[in-house]
Amino acid sequence: MTAEIAKAEKNPEILLPSEAAGWKWDGKEERHDPKTLFAYMDGAAELYLAYGFTRLAVRRFEKPGRPAVTVELYELASSDDAYGVFTYERQDEPAGIGQDSEFGGGMLRFWKGRYLAAVYAEGEGNDVESALLAIGRAAADAIPKTGSEPRWIAFIPGREHGLVDRSVRFLRSHVLLNQRFFVAHRNILNLNRHTEALLAQYVRNGQTTHFLLIRYPDGKAAEAAYRGFMKAYLPDAGGKDRWKTEDRLWTLAEKKNELVLIVFGAPTETDAEALVKATVEKLDK
Amino acid sequence: MEDTVITRRDFLRVAAGTAVAATLGGAVIEETRAEATARVVLIRHPAVVGDEGKIRGEILQSMLDEAVKTLLGTGDPSEGWRMLIRNTDIVGIKSNSWGRMPTPRELEAAIKRRVLDAGVAERNTDIDDRGVLTNPVFLKATALINVRPLRTHHWSGVGTCLKNYIMFVPNPSDYHADGCSPLGKIWTYPVVKGKTRLNILSALTPQFYGRGAHFFDRRYVWPYKGLIVGTDPVAVDAVGAHLLQTKRIAHFGEDRMLDVPPAHIAAADKDYRIGVSDLRRIRLIKSGWLEEALI
Repeated sequence: MTAEIAKAEKNPEILLPSEAAGWKWDGKEERHDPKTLFAYMDGAAELYLAYGFTRLAVRRFEKPGRPAVTVELYELASSDDAYGVFTYERQDEPAGIGQDSEFGGGMLRFWKGRYLAAVYAEGEGNDVESALLAIGRAAADAIPKTGSEPRWIAFIPGREHGLVDRSVRFLRSHVLLNQRFFVAHRNILNLNRHTEALLAQYVRNGQTTHFLLIRYPDGKAAEAAYRGFMKAYLPDAGGKDRWKTEDRLWTLAEKKNELVLIVFGAPTETDAEALVKATVEKLDK
Repeated sequence: MEDTVITRRDFLRVAAGTAVAATLGGAVIEETRAEATARVVLIRHPAVVGDEGKIRGEILQSMLDEAVKTLLGTGDPSEGWRMLIRNTDIVGIKSNSWGRMPTPRELEAAIKRRVLDAGVAERNTDIDDRGVLTNPVFLKATALINVRPLRTHHWSGVGTCLKNYIMFVPNPSDYHADGCSPLGKIWTYPVVKGKTRLNILSALTPQFYGRGAHFFDRRYVWPYKGLIVGTDPVAVDAVGAHLLQTKRIAHFGEDRMLDVPPAHIAAADKDYRIGVSDLRRIRLIKSGWLEEALI
């Protein structure tokens, strides 16, 4: 088996729909790889590259007198990565398409398997919104396989701790982390393609707390990251794993095997401990 | 300052009033340097953008003229433009053609009109963005006018005047590291060094938050109806970034600082000495409509 055939079997072509809700494909398909993605989008390409982007297919759908609809189908390195790109930007209500989706601001986004899709129109209208959903469903149906979510999600404390719905994000770089929760302008937690970071948001008594779970390739890497974080972020903790910061809220960091767990902005020391403890208990089971 | 790490706690200290100063996300302000200051003009007009988003070119022209006059302290706009542009200049108007939010054509036209009024031959001026490296006018340019819309940017925090020169290098992605902090270096290259006479941020309809594949969502564009104008690109950008940051806080609440601290603005000041990033050393002159000016 040649490498090309093996690659093709591993990454089969997804045949996007050619028509839905009266909108017809114009017959052209624009394709991009990691080298040409910058030419397609200004500024956002690095988001997809951080998640192991491999290729993009773009189709445009038209209906006389109505705004055109564009479908972008991104193939990422894994289903974890597709989940990551999706959750990185998730903010709107789900639409029940693919493995998870959101619809708002004239854009439908969903992920399925190792694919992330964006469907949007160049104008507004109720029929346009219906078309976005119909075309999106057809595109999701064209993707034959589903994929798993990052396994570490199972260890994130749940609603009983105030987990905000749809707030969990899977992040591959410190830049992406900073764009959702600024920690430090330098990469003090050593995040990269080989680490898995989950950021979750909790609200208790009106106070927002962030919880960060990072898995490193091994315990040694986790230890180095933990030390780097403590030195840069909590230098005044005096060797303790926690500190009441300038906002009068608690930051707590703990290393466990290849994981680093950090709570930011807990109202009390006990609240911070509770999130870490809940995670550790799940891990120990 | 190489090893300085700016953390969330630096912002918390600001909020708590315990920091010396930190006016920009990502900008660690050291002791105030006395040697350099900058002037930036913010001008707004309530009618420059209509309900349908249509830009009224005649109002925009008057705003631009007024901004130049105010910035340079001249008696009339034409005197100000003549201070900026000589009739012997070859003038490149570096615009921005980003599909979702390009530089308004009315603004490009207003600038070009004044360049021609200053006596520059039509053949010696051009407007371009992605073709500047092959455009004969830009390759021979003795003067540049830098104009683009104000928006948040996925990788650099803000898309402003400093970033607008990224098309003057053949390898833009090489300047994306660390919040695009090397962007200032581009301004030291011969193709642009010392040529920029005016920097204009179109804040007519700025974008304060991005989303989606192209980092654009019309829900986060608002009719601010302003121009931010200066000869110092760093100062213009610092004011623009401050405006976006302020708008985000107003819209979202306390926890929406700029996604990426615009480290390139501070770096352009401290590493490349292109201009002034410290808002305390920037004299912001506000003109025109001031309702909900935010800054």
